[in-house]
Amino acid sequence: MKRFYLFGFLLLMGFDTLAQVSFKYAGSQALPVAASVAWVLRVFGQPWVYGAVIGYIGAFFTWMTLLKHAPIGPAFAASHLEVVSVMLLSIWLFDEHLTVARVLGAIAIVAGIVCLGLAESHEHPAAATAPDAARA
Amino acid sequence: MSPAAGSISTLVASLWLLNVVLDTGGQLAFKAAAGDPHAGDGLARWKHMAARPWLWFGVASYVIEFLVWIAFLSLVPLSEGVLLGSINIVAIMIAGRFLFGEKLTRMRVLGILLVTLGVVIVGVAG
Repeated sequence: MKRFYLFGFLLLMGFDTLAQVSFKYAGSQALPVAASVAWVLRVFGQPWVYGAVIGYIGAFFTWMTLLKHAPIGPAFAASHLEVVSVMLLSIWLFDEHLTVARVLGAIAIVAGIVCLGLAESHEHPAAATAPDAARA
Repeated sequence: MSPAAGSISTLVASLWLLNVVLDTGGQLAFKAAAGDPHAGDGLARWKHMAARPWLWFGVASYVIEFLVWIAFLSLVPLSEGVLLGSINIVAIMIAGRFLFGEKLTRMRVLGILLVTLGVVIVGVAG
Protein backbone atom coordinates (compact mmCIF):
# COMPACT_ATOMS: atom_id res chain seq x y z
CA MET A 1 0.00 0.00 0.00
CA LYS A 2 2.88 2.33 0.89
CA ARG A 3 4.52 1.60 -2.46
CA PHE A 4 1.19 2.19 -4.22
CA TYR A 5 0.93 5.67 -2.69
CA LEU A 6 4.59 6.53 -3.34
CA PHE A 7 4.38 5.49 -7.00
CA GLY A 8 1.01 7.21 -7.37
CA PHE A 9 2.19 10.50 -5.90
CA LEU A 10 5.43 10.49 -7.94
CA LEU A 11 3.44 9.81 -11.11
CA LEU A 12 1.04 12.61 -10.17
CA MET A 13 3.99 14.95 -9.54
CA GLY A 14 5.48 14.05 -12.94
CA PHE A 15 2.23 14.71 -14.81
CA ASP A 16 1.65 17.96 -12.86
CA THR A 17 5.17 19.18 -13.62
CA LEU A 18 4.79 18.40 -17.33
CA ALA A 19 1.46 20.26 -17.35
CA GLN A 20 2.82 23.40 -15.62
CA VAL A 21 5.86 23.69 -17.87
CA SER A 22 3.65 23.16 -20.95
CA PHE A 23 1.13 25.74 -19.68
CA LYS A 24 3.90 28.30 -19.41
CA TYR A 25 5.22 27.60 -22.92
CA ALA A 26 1.70 27.58 -24.38
CA GLY A 27 0.72 30.84 -22.69
CA SER A 28 3.94 32.61 -23.63
CA GLN A 29 3.44 31.75 -27.30
CA ALA A 30 -0.20 32.93 -27.31
CA LEU A 31 0.36 36.44 -25.92
CA PRO A 32 -1.25 38.93 -25.61
CA VAL A 33 -3.94 37.58 -23.29
CA ALA A 34 -7.48 38.48 -24.35
CA ALA A 35 -10.95 37.08 -23.62
CA SER A 36 -11.35 36.30 -27.31
CA VAL A 37 -11.66 33.41 -29.76
CA ALA A 38 -8.45 34.63 -31.36
CA TRP A 39 -6.54 34.02 -28.12
CA VAL A 40 -8.03 30.54 -27.66
CA LEU A 41 -7.09 29.73 -31.28
CA ARG A 42 -3.53 30.96 -30.64
CA VAL A 43 -3.37 28.74 -27.53
CA PHE A 44 -4.51 25.62 -29.42
CA GLY A 45 -2.52 26.53 -32.55
CA GLN A 46 0.85 25.52 -31.12
CA PRO A 47 2.05 22.14 -29.82
CA TRP A 48 2.72 22.94 -26.14
CA VAL A 49 -0.91 23.07 -25.18
CA TYR A 50 -1.14 19.37 -26.01
CA GLY A 51 1.69 18.63 -23.56
CA ALA A 52 -0.49 20.36 -20.98
CA VAL A 53 -3.48 18.25 -22.06
CA ILE A 54 -1.44 15.03 -21.65
CA GLY A 55 -0.22 16.16 -18.23
CA TYR A 56 -3.75 17.15 -17.22
CA ILE A 57 -5.37 13.87 -18.32
CA GLY A 58 -2.58 11.77 -16.81
CA ALA A 59 -2.86 13.69 -13.53
CA PHE A 60 -6.65 13.34 -13.62
CA PHE A 61 -6.69 9.54 -13.80
CA THR A 62 -3.83 9.19 -11.29
CA TRP A 63 -5.68 11.59 -8.99
CA MET A 64 -9.04 9.83 -9.27
CA THR A 65 -7.40 6.46 -8.50
CA LEU A 66 -5.61 7.87 -5.46
CA LEU A 67 -8.66 9.77 -4.26
CA LYS A 68 -10.69 6.59 -3.99
CA HIS A 69 -8.42 5.55 -1.11
CA ALA A 70 -6.92 8.76 0.27
CA PRO A 71 -8.81 11.61 2.02
CA ILE A 72 -9.07 14.71 -0.16
CA GLY A 73 -7.04 17.17 1.94
CA PRO A 74 -3.73 15.33 2.31
CA ALA A 75 -3.90 13.75 -1.15
CA PHE A 76 -4.34 17.26 -2.54
CA ALA A 77 -1.46 18.54 -0.40
CA ALA A 78 0.84 15.73 -1.56
CA SER A 79 -0.04 16.48 -5.16
CA HIS A 80 1.15 20.06 -4.63
CA LEU A 81 4.77 19.20 -3.89
CA GLU A 82 5.26 19.78 -7.62
CA VAL A 83 5.89 23.45 -6.72
CA VAL A 84 9.46 22.44 -5.92
CA SER A 85 10.12 20.56 -9.17
CA VAL A 86 8.45 23.29 -11.25
CA MET A 87 10.44 26.06 -9.51
CA LEU A 88 13.75 24.32 -10.14
CA LEU A 89 12.83 23.56 -13.77
CA SER A 90 11.84 27.18 -14.45
CA ILE A 91 15.35 28.36 -13.54
CA TRP A 92 16.74 26.08 -16.20
CA LEU A 93 14.02 26.33 -18.86
CA PHE A 94 12.85 29.95 -18.52
CA ASP A 95 15.94 31.67 -17.05
CA GLU A 96 13.98 32.65 -13.97
CA HIS A 97 15.69 33.52 -10.70
CA LEU A 98 15.24 32.30 -7.15
CA THR A 99 14.48 35.64 -5.48
CA VAL A 100 14.57 35.85 -1.67
CA ALA A 101 10.76 36.18 -1.61
CA ARG A 102 10.27 33.07 -3.77
CA VAL A 103 12.66 30.98 -1.65
CA LEU A 104 11.06 32.14 1.64
CA GLY A 105 7.59 31.65 0.19
CA ALA A 106 8.46 28.17 -1.07
CA ILE A 107 9.92 27.17 2.33
CA ALA A 108 6.74 28.33 4.12
CA ILE A 109 4.51 26.57 1.57
CA VAL A 110 6.44 23.27 1.70
CA ALA A 111 6.50 23.44 5.53
CA GLY A 112 2.74 23.98 5.42
CA ILE A 113 2.29 21.00 3.08
CA VAL A 114 4.40 18.83 5.42
CA CYS A 115 2.23 19.92 8.38
CA LEU A 116 -0.90 18.96 6.45
CA GLY A 117 0.61 15.54 5.71
CA LEU A 118 1.58 15.04 9.37
CA ALA A 119 -1.86 16.13 10.51
CA GLU A 120 -3.31 13.35 8.41
CA SER A 121 -1.05 10.58 9.74
CA HIS A 122 -1.99 11.66 13.30
CA GLU A 123 -5.61 11.87 12.34
CA HIS A 124 -6.06 8.44 10.70
CA PRO A 125 -3.18 6.23 11.93
CA ALA A 126 -5.24 3.04 11.66
CA ALA A 127 -6.82 3.65 8.28
CA ALA A 128 -3.83 5.14 6.45
CA THR A 129 -0.86 3.15 7.75
CA ALA A 130 -2.24 -0.10 9.16
CA PRO A 131 -0.48 -2.43 6.66
CA ASP A 132 2.88 -0.68 7.14
CA ALA A 133 2.54 -0.46 10.91
CA ALA A 134 1.86 -4.20 11.00
CA ARG A 135 4.98 -4.88 8.95
CA ALA A 136 7.14 -2.66 11.19
CA MET B 1 8.88 38.53 -17.58
CA SER B 2 7.72 40.29 -14.41
CA PRO B 3 4.53 42.34 -14.20
CA ALA B 4 5.11 46.06 -14.65
CA ALA B 5 6.43 48.09 -11.71
CA GLY B 6 6.69 45.02 -9.47
CA SER B 7 3.00 44.99 -8.64
CA ILE B 8 0.35 42.44 -9.51
CA SER B 9 -2.10 43.86 -12.05
CA THR B 10 -5.88 43.64 -11.75
CA LEU B 11 -5.99 41.16 -14.64
CA VAL B 12 -3.46 38.86 -12.97
CA ALA B 13 -5.28 39.11 -9.62
CA SER B 14 -8.64 38.34 -11.27
CA LEU B 15 -7.26 35.30 -13.10
CA TRP B 16 -5.67 34.09 -9.84
CA LEU B 17 -8.98 34.43 -7.97
CA LEU B 18 -10.98 32.78 -10.75
CA ASN B 19 -8.51 29.89 -10.74
CA VAL B 20 -8.99 29.33 -6.99
CA VAL B 21 -12.79 29.27 -7.36
CA LEU B 22 -12.74 26.87 -10.35
CA ASP B 23 -10.13 24.58 -8.82
CA THR B 24 -11.98 24.31 -5.51
CA GLY B 25 -15.34 23.74 -7.23
CA GLY B 26 -13.82 21.08 -9.48
CA GLN B 27 -12.05 19.25 -6.66
CA LEU B 28 -15.15 19.15 -4.50
CA ALA B 29 -17.18 17.80 -7.43
CA PHE B 30 -14.58 15.05 -8.01
CA LYS B 31 -14.64 14.21 -4.31
CA ALA B 32 -18.43 13.93 -4.45
CA ALA B 33 -18.14 11.64 -7.51
CA ALA B 34 -15.25 9.47 -6.24
CA GLY B 35 -16.47 9.19 -2.67
CA ASP B 36 -19.89 7.74 -3.63
CA PRO B 37 -20.09 4.47 -1.65
CA HIS B 38 -22.60 2.96 -4.13
CA ALA B 39 -20.28 3.33 -7.12
CA GLY B 40 -18.77 -0.16 -7.03
CA ASP B 41 -15.43 -1.02 -8.66
CA GLY B 42 -13.61 -0.98 -11.98
CA LEU B 43 -15.55 -0.15 -15.13
CA ALA B 44 -18.87 -0.19 -13.25
CA ARG B 45 -17.53 2.57 -11.00
CA TRP B 46 -16.70 4.76 -14.00
CA LYS B 47 -20.11 4.10 -15.57
CA HIS B 48 -21.80 4.98 -12.27
CA MET B 49 -19.85 8.25 -12.04
CA ALA B 50 -20.41 9.13 -15.72
CA ALA B 51 -24.19 8.79 -15.29
CA ARG B 52 -24.21 11.44 -12.54
CA PRO B 53 -23.61 15.20 -12.75
CA TRP B 54 -20.72 15.58 -10.27
CA LEU B 55 -18.04 14.12 -12.52
CA TRP B 56 -19.12 16.39 -15.40
CA PHE B 57 -19.35 19.46 -13.18
CA GLY B 58 -15.76 18.75 -12.18
CA VAL B 59 -14.67 18.28 -15.80
CA ALA B 60 -16.37 21.55 -16.88
CA SER B 61 -14.67 23.48 -14.05
CA TYR B 62 -11.33 22.03 -15.11
CA VAL B 63 -11.77 22.89 -18.79
CA ILE B 64 -12.40 26.56 -17.95
CA GLU B 65 -9.64 26.53 -15.34
CA PHE B 66 -7.28 25.16 -18.01
CA LEU B 67 -7.65 28.36 -20.07
CA VAL B 68 -7.64 30.66 -17.03
CA TRP B 69 -4.40 29.11 -15.78
CA ILE B 70 -2.67 29.41 -19.18
CA ALA B 71 -3.61 33.09 -19.26
CA PHE B 72 -2.38 33.57 -15.68
CA LEU B 73 0.96 31.84 -16.25
CA SER B 74 1.63 33.79 -19.43
CA LEU B 75 1.58 36.98 -17.32
CA VAL B 76 3.76 35.92 -14.36
CA PRO B 77 7.04 33.97 -14.03
CA LEU B 78 6.31 30.22 -13.72
CA SER B 79 8.20 29.87 -10.41
CA GLU B 80 6.06 32.65 -8.95
CA GLY B 81 2.84 31.40 -10.55
CA VAL B 82 3.01 27.89 -9.07
CA LEU B 83 3.72 29.31 -5.61
CA LEU B 84 0.76 31.71 -5.84
CA GLY B 85 -1.39 28.78 -7.03
CA SER B 86 -0.67 26.97 -3.74
CA ILE B 87 -3.50 29.00 -2.19
CA ASN B 88 -5.74 26.30 -3.73
CA ILE B 89 -4.59 23.97 -0.93
CA VAL B 90 -5.98 26.38 1.66
CA ALA B 91 -9.25 26.90 -0.20
CA ILE B 92 -9.84 23.16 -0.62
CA MET B 93 -9.11 22.43 3.06
CA ILE B 94 -11.55 25.08 4.24
CA ALA B 95 -14.20 23.97 1.74
CA GLY B 96 -13.66 20.32 2.80
CA ARG B 97 -14.24 21.38 6.39
CA PHE B 98 -17.60 22.97 5.59
CA LEU B 99 -18.92 20.55 2.94
CA PHE B 100 -17.54 17.17 4.02
CA GLY B 101 -17.05 17.82 7.74
CA GLU B 102 -13.29 17.16 7.48
CA LYS B 103 -11.66 18.22 10.75
CA LEU B 104 -9.41 21.26 11.06
CA THR B 105 -6.98 20.06 13.73
CA ARG B 106 -4.26 22.32 15.18
CA MET B 107 -1.69 20.77 12.81
CA ARG B 108 -3.93 21.42 9.81
CA VAL B 109 -4.53 25.02 10.89
CA LEU B 110 -0.74 25.44 11.21
CA GLY B 111 -0.31 24.00 7.70
CA ILE B 112 -2.97 26.33 6.31
CA LEU B 113 -1.34 29.35 7.99
CA LEU B 114 2.13 28.45 6.66
CA VAL B 115 0.90 27.97 3.08
CA THR B 116 -1.02 31.26 3.28
CA LEU B 117 2.08 33.01 4.68
CA GLY B 118 4.15 31.66 1.78
CA VAL B 119 1.62 32.86 -0.80
CA VAL B 120 1.44 36.30 0.86
CA ILE B 121 5.26 36.63 0.86
CA VAL B 122 5.43 35.81 -2.87
CA GLY B 123 2.34 37.89 -3.73
CA VAL B 124 3.47 41.03 -1.87
CA ALA B 125 7.02 40.86 -3.22
CA GLY B 126 5.93 39.84 -6.73
